[in-house]
Amino acid sequence: MIDARQLERHYDDGARGRLAVLDGVSLTVADGEFVAIVGRSGSGKSTLLHVLGGLDTDYRGQVTVAGTRLDGLADAALARFRNETVGFVFQSFHLMSGVSALENVLLPARFAANPVGALHARAQAALARVGLTAAHGARAPGQLSGGERQRVAIARALFSSPRLLLCDEPTGNLDAATADEVVALFKTLNAGGLTIVAVTHEERLRSAASRVLTLAGGKLS
Amino acid sequence: MSGSLWPLVKLSLARDRRSALSSAFGLAVGVASLVFFVSLGLGVGAIVREKVFPVDSSLVEVVPAQLSFGLLGGGTLDEATVARLSALPGVERAFKKMNVRAPAVTIYRGDFFGRPLHMGLEVLAVGVEPDFVRGDVLLGEFVDPGPDKPIPAIASTRLLEIYNKSFAPQRSLPQLSGQLLTGFIFPIDFNRSFVTSTPQSASAIPSQAQLVGVSDRGLLAGITIPLEAARRINAAANLDAKTFTGVALKATDPSRVPGIVAAVKAMGLRVDDQERRMSENAGAAVAISTSSLALLSVLICLLAAFNIAHAFSASVRAREKELGVMRAVGASRRALFRLVLVEALVLGVVGGVLGTALALAASLGLDLAAVHLVPEFPFKPDSWFQRPVWLLGGGVVLGVLAAVAGAWLPARRASRTDPARVLAG
Ligand SMILES: Nc1ncnc2c1ncn2[C@@H]1O[C@H](COP(=O)(O)OP(=O)(O)OP(=O)(O)O)[C@@H](O)[C@H]1O
Ligand SMILES: [Mg+2]
Repeated sequence: MIDARQLERHYDDGARGRLAVLDGVSLTVADGEFVAIVGRSGSGKSTLLHVLGGLDTDYRGQVTVAGTRLDGLADAALARFRNETVGFVFQSFHLMSGVSALENVLLPARFAANPVGALHARAQAALARVGLTAAHGARAPGQLSGGERQRVAIARALFSSPRLLLCDEPTGNLDAATADEVVALFKTLNAGGLTIVAVTHEERLRSAASRVLTLAGGKLS
Repeated sequence: MSGSLWPLVKLSLARDRRSALSSAFGLAVGVASLVFFVSLGLGVGAIVREKVFPVDSSLVEVVPAQLSFGLLGGGTLDEATVARLSALPGVERAFKKMNVRAPAVTIYRGDFFGRPLHMGLEVLAVGVEPDFVRGDVLLGEFVDPGPDKPIPAIASTRLLEIYNKSFAPQRSLPQLSGQLLTGFIFPIDFNRSFVTSTPQSASAIPSQAQLVGVSDRGLLAGITIPLEAARRINAAANLDAKTFTGVALKATDPSRVPGIVAAVKAMGLRVDDQERRMSENAGAAVAISTSSLALLSVLICLLAAFNIAHAFSASVRAREKELGVMRAVGASRRALFRLVLVEALVLGVVGGVLGTALALAASLGLDLAAVHLVPEFPFKPDSWFQRPVWLLGGGVVLGVLAAVAGAWLPARRASRTDPARVLAG
């Protein structure tokens, strides 16, 4: 699913000078794996995830995800890759306020190359997959609990039936019980064949993963 | 290339309803003022051009030089000079004109379209070649009928307008149209005057005139009669019946006029461009005031564009995370650029249509008010405005352009949102 080689990413950070966040990271993830990436704050976990998901283009090295070579890909092609092949889940949900949860779930369709019809039905199905009802879908994000919001965000990531889910601290903003539910959901999704790479600090997510990697000093081990 | 952004545009505009409304309203004000003033300028310009100073742009009025050049005979308009004038390059035809050089009065006693009228009036008369006014003659042949029959006469369109709008109402005389006037016969005594003592040598020549039409080419303060009639009266009064008082040169094309004017001046003759100058001055005055008001309106639109730039900048900044998420779920840079620009486009269309409609409503309302509230006066138009389709379409286009111009940089900033930065946790 993922084949990344010799990834290098640095920031030019005024006072501190050149900051090598990724310093020769190589990573292979097989189809259907559930990989957890851990590391101290600031070790570059989010940076790595953005490179793997085609959100960051300012790196050196080679990345192939689900058969698509990402390095050097033009903006439009990368956008299409993000739209169809990967789904992102963030720590702070990042839902659009002022519009319904359902509208949030079908956001990817607004940017799809060929939006398939029956968008609402598909969005409802995605909500059902994460354990939410049509009533939840009708509400605005502000009217949902934290756990429900993260489920909506996961439903949005699942909307386009991606092959890879990239999660950045997905349980970081949730209480213990809710976090357990979300982890259980990831396990179910993974059992259904979805490849998951999750960045985390948390033991519960780490223990759910089939493999745990540690990012430190710009290297992955 | 991308899916339908329309739902997102709607969502975003609905969410920022107040800001969107104020942006669109600003545009509407600018567009309304532009459409209104241009419409007014076009209307008033047309009134000046077509009614107040109807100038035929392909006509050159040649008059004799003020000083004659003695032996050379230059400066007068005799047959030989007219022949040379008609041979000038660019001249299609020369129309000779001869004033009746004797004074004339009309004394009318009797029924005047249903009212008793008793009036004595000093009259000027000019004789013109029949073809010069042929198109406006409604009755009979425009030729000299000889001493005993009424002379066909043409009145000035503008004179009729002044009569109808100020002279007649003040004296409770009937309103007249060219149609109604046609056929009207009135007495006219040549070689007689109320204001100057007439030469003893000649006695009055009583005659009659019959109105046969009205024309823009008619003498403003008098009547226009066939050239031969003027010649005959001048001869009968022992006055100059040979040289002409003017020649109207019809150019093959208005663009030839400057060349003809130069050639005429080189012949030692003058060109009477008083009417043309007045028309041009009045036209320029209208054009200048319209342009300055239009400029002001464009400034308002510019302000509206700045307002939109400001509002969209703020909105894009506030939506940074949202735009980042859109990038994450598959928005290209182009798609985000388009998303913001289409939002502005909608505001532009709304503002443009609203502004154009406002301007239309205002101009129609003022026209209606003018009909009822402004008293009649000469050249008072039915409408003070012109509302050509291009102007209405232009109003909408202006709204769209201002909105899109204002939103351009914010849209670019939106397209450059770095998702890795705004989404990092
Ligand atoms: N735009 C940027 N400019 C400069 N430095 C940056 C930028 N983005 C990230 N960094 C730095 O790069 C390093 C890695 O950042 P990253 O967000 O990948 O860390 P992380 O492992 O996800 O941390 P956390 O666990 O706190 O989320 C950090 O030291 C951070 O300060
Ligand atoms: Mg992070």
